[in-house]
Amino acid sequence: MGDLKLQNVTIAYGPRMIIQGLSLAVHDGEMVSLLGPSGAGKTTILKAISGLLKPDGGDILIDGRSVTDLAPENRDAVMVFQKPLLFPFMNVAQNIGFGLRMLRFTKSETRRRVARILALTRLEGLEFRKVHELSGGQQQRAALARALVLEPSILLLDEPLSNLDANLRQRMRDLIQSIQTETRMTMVFVTHDQSEALMISHRVALLLDGRLRQVGTPRQLFYEPIDPDVARFFGGRNFFQGRVENGLLRSDLGVFPVGRQDGNGHLRMATIRPEDIEIAPLGKSANGGLTGRIVKTNFEGSAIRHVVTTTAGELMVLTTQDRFAPGQEVALTVSPDKIRLFPKS
Amino acid sequence: MTSRPQYDVDARTRPGSGFFGLTFLLAPALTVILLLFGGGLVLGVVQALGYIPGAGQGELSWVHFTGVITDPDFLYSFGLTLYVACVSTCIAAALSIVAALILVSLQSRWIHFIFQIPLTVPHLVVAVAVVFLLAPAGWFSRAAVAIGLIQGTTDFPLLINDNWGLGIILVYVWKEIPFITLMILAVLRHSGEELLDVGRTLKAGAWQRFRHITLPTIFPALGAASLIVFAYTFGAFEVPYLLGRTYPMTLPVWAYKQYSDIDLLARPEGIATGIVIALVITAAVIGAQMLTKAARRRGIVL
Amino acid sequence: MKRSLAGFTGVIVICAVGIPFVPLCLWSFARRWFYPDLYPQAFGLRAWTYITSTAGTQVLTAIGHSVVVAAVTALLAVVIAVPAGRALGLYAFKGKDAVSILLTLPVIVPPLCVAMGLHLWFIRLGLAETLGGVIGVHLTFCLPYAIFVLWGVFSNYNPDFEDQARSLGASRLTVLTRIMLPMILPGISVAALFAFLLSWSQYLSTLIIGGGRLMTLPILLFALMGSGDRPVAAAVSLVFVAPALVVLLFSARYLGTRSLVGVR
Repeated sequence: MGDLKLQNVTIAYGPRMIIQGLSLAVHDGEMVSLLGPSGAGKTTILKAISGLLKPDGGDILIDGRSVTDLAPENRDAVMVFQKPLLFPFMNVAQNIGFGLRMLRFTKSETRRRVARILALTRLEGLEFRKVHELSGGQQQRAALARALVLEPSILLLDEPLSNLDANLRQRMRDLIQSIQTETRMTMVFVTHDQSEALMISHRVALLLDGRLRQVGTPRQLFYEPIDPDVARFFGGRNFFQGRVENGLLRSDLGVFPVGRQDGNGHLRMATIRPEDIEIAPLGKSANGGLTGRIVKTNFEGSAIRHVVTTTAGELMVLTTQDRFAPGQEVALTVSPDKIRLFPKS
Repeated sequence: MTSRPQYDVDARTRPGSGFFGLTFLLAPALTVILLLFGGGLVLGVVQALGYIPGAGQGELSWVHFTGVITDPDFLYSFGLTLYVACVSTCIAAALSIVAALILVSLQSRWIHFIFQIPLTVPHLVVAVAVVFLLAPAGWFSRAAVAIGLIQGTTDFPLLINDNWGLGIILVYVWKEIPFITLMILAVLRHSGEELLDVGRTLKAGAWQRFRHITLPTIFPALGAASLIVFAYTFGAFEVPYLLGRTYPMTLPVWAYKQYSDIDLLARPEGIATGIVIALVITAAVIGAQMLTKAARRRGIVL
Repeated sequence: MKRSLAGFTGVIVICAVGIPFVPLCLWSFARRWFYPDLYPQAFGLRAWTYITSTAGTQVLTAIGHSVVVAAVTALLAVVIAVPAGRALGLYAFKGKDAVSILLTLPVIVPPLCVAMGLHLWFIRLGLAETLGGVIGVHLTFCLPYAIFVLWGVFSNYNPDFEDQARSLGASRLTVLTRIMLPMILPGISVAALFAFLLSWSQYLSTLIIGGGRLMTLPILLFALMGSGDRPVAAAVSLVFVAPALVVLLFSARYLGTRSLVGVR
C-alpha cells in the first residue's frame, strides 16, 4: 500500500537550507503534484523520499513505518528521473527488465511482465532496439516502463515531461494519468508547469522557497489561494487592499459585499483574476463603476491581455473580446463573488 | 580503434573542405608517416625476406623467418614475453578498477595529482629504482637484515633477473596502473554517478550495481587501455633488458641481440623477429576488436 | 569513515608513488654506502659534481642531445599535427577510416621494428649516428600521438568562431593566429608535452639509429648501470626524470586535471 508521510523534513546543502520543516501526507492511490519554480527543491524532496538523499531532520514514513534508515534499493518507492538515463549498454527489453532481474524474478516471469508493460506504454516492437536508436519520447516511455514494471507502491516522477515537445508531452501526460487511474498507484509528480499540475493531480502541493505554501485540490489552489504568492503563481494579478466592515469590503476599486468576516475594520488583501474583470467601452454604464484607460495590449491568441490604468491603480484584464485598443477609455466591472479575500495573515 | 578518443560526430563535421584544402592539411602528416613508418616497415620486411643490397644477397626467401620460428629459443622467448605482458596487464587492470572506484568516491585533488606522477616517469628510471630496491644487496634486503629476517644477500629471494620476471612485472604495474585508472576514471566521472542512482532506485544492491552497471560502463575504456598496455609491454625493450635474465630473454631483447650481433648474417633474423613481434601485437589488437564487435552484435551485456 | 579512507588511501598512494625516488635520492647523495646499512654511512656531492663538471662532459653531452632531440621532435610533431588534426577533427571525408588505421599502426607497433628497418636506409642517407636521424625515427611514433591529441581537440572546436571573425573582416592569417591558435593552445601544449616525453624516454630506437655513438640520457643511464657506479647512475636518473615532473606540474597548473589522460 502506498501511504506516504513526510514529517517536518529538513534538508540542507552545506550552509544553505533547501527544504525547511516540510510536512506532507500523500494518501494511498493519490496522484499528488509537487509544484514550484525551478530550483525550489522539488527534486531534492523526491530524492529524499526515494532514499537517494538523507534528510538532515524530520522523518519519512511509508505505510506508517519510518524509512529514513532504509537504502533506496530496499524501499518500495521507485524514482523516474528528468533524463531517461537508460543504460546505454543494454537494449530496451533489458533496460525495462533490469529491476526485475535485480529482485531475482525468474526469466519467464520477467519476460511476461516486460511484455505487459511494453504493451501498456506502447513500446511493442522496440524490445531489441538499442537506446540510441530511440526517439526522445520513446526513451522517456522506456524509462517510465522500467519503473512501472516493478509495480512499486509509490512512483516518484521528476519532471519527466519537461524535455519533450508540447504534443508529446500531452500524450505522455494522458498515458501517465490513465496508468494512475488504472493501477491506483500512489504517484508524486514534480513539475514547474502549473497547468500541468492542475490537469493531472488529485491534489497539488505548491512549494515556494523550500516551504510548502498550500496543499489542496486543483480547484482549491486556483480559486482559493492562501496568499498573494500562491495566487500569482497561478496567474493571479490585481492585488489590492481594503477594509472589511459589516460584511462590506471598502477599497479603491469600489465597495463590495463579501459576507460576514471576522475582525471588523481590519485591512485585508484581496485579488481579482484578470479574466474575472468585465471590460466594456466607456459610456455604456453610467452607474459610477470603475473607469480607466488602456495603456498596453498583448494579443495572446485565445485571449487578449490589457493593462488598464484606473483611479485604483493599474489593473490587468483578460478578455476574449477583440475590440479594444491602447488609449481607449473603458469601463471595468468587478462582480463581488469573483473577489478573493485572503485570510488574515 | 584502440587509442582514439571518443568523438562527437555531430553536424559540425562538414563534408570535405574541398580536395585541395584537405590534401594541404593532411599531406605533411601522411607523407612523414608513410615515408618513415611505412618505409621503415617495408624496408624491414624486405631485409627480413633476405634482400640486403651490398651484402651479396639479392633474392627473397623465407629463410630468416623460418629460421627464427624454428629456433628452439623462439618458443621460450615468445612464451616468456606473452607471460610477462599478460600478467602485467591483468594485475594492472584489476588493481586499476579498485583504484578508480576509490578515487571516484574520494574526489581528492591531491591524491589525483600524486597518482599522475608515474605517467611521466620514464620506464627506465623505474627499472633503475627497482634494481636499487630489490637487488640481493638492495634496500629491501637491508631492511630485512635490519629486522632480523635474513642474514645476508644470499638469503634474500631473487626478485630481479629471476625466472618469473618479477621485477619487470613490478615496473610495468607501477607505471601502468595510473594510466589505466585515469582512463577508467574519465568515464566514471562523466556518467557513473547518475546511472548508479538509477540502479539504486531500481533495487540493485551494491555488488549488483558494480557488476551490472559500473563494469559495463567502464568496460570499453578498460578494454582499450588494457590492450594498449598489453601491446606496449609485449614489445618493450629496456625494462626486460635491465631486469631480465640473460636466458631466456623476451622477444624484443632477443631481436636486438640478433640485430646487433657481430655476425652480420644474424641481422635479418633480428629484423624478422621484430616483424613477428609487430604481427603478434597487430593480431592481438585486431582480435580484440573483432571479439568486441561480435559480443556487441550478440547483445552480450558484460 | 570516508575521511579515514581518504587518509589511508593517501598514505598508500604517496608511499607507492614515492618509493622509487627514495633509493635514487639516497644513492645520488651517497659517498659511502655499504651493505647492510639502511642509509649511507657518508653523504657527499661527488656524483652531482661529477655530472656538472668537465669530467662529466659525457653527461652534459647526453643531456644536450636528449633535450635537442626531444624538443625538435615535439616541435615538428606539433607543427605537422595541427593541420592534420584540423582536417580529421572538423571534416568527414572518404578514406577517413583508412587514415585512422594508418595513424594507429605506429602507435601499437613497437619502435624497435621500425628502427631496425630504417637503420640501413638511414646509413645510406648519412643519417645514421646523427641527431637528424634520431629525430626522424622518434617522429614516426611521436607524430601519430600528437595527431590523436589534436584530432580530439579539433573535434570539440567550434569553427563558427572563425566564420564570425571573417565576417567581421579578419584575414585568413589573422583568423589562424588570433582565433584558432589561442583556442587550441591547451591542446597544442598537451601534444607537445606528450611528444617531448615520448622522445625523451626513448632508448632502443636511439640506440639503433644512433649506433651507440649518439649519447642521450637513457643510453648513458644504461651504461652507468652496467658500470656499477650507483651514485652517478642515481644522479643521472634524477636528472632524467626531472623534465617529466616539470611537465606534470605545468600541466596540472595550466591545463587542468584531465589533460594527462592517455600519457604513458
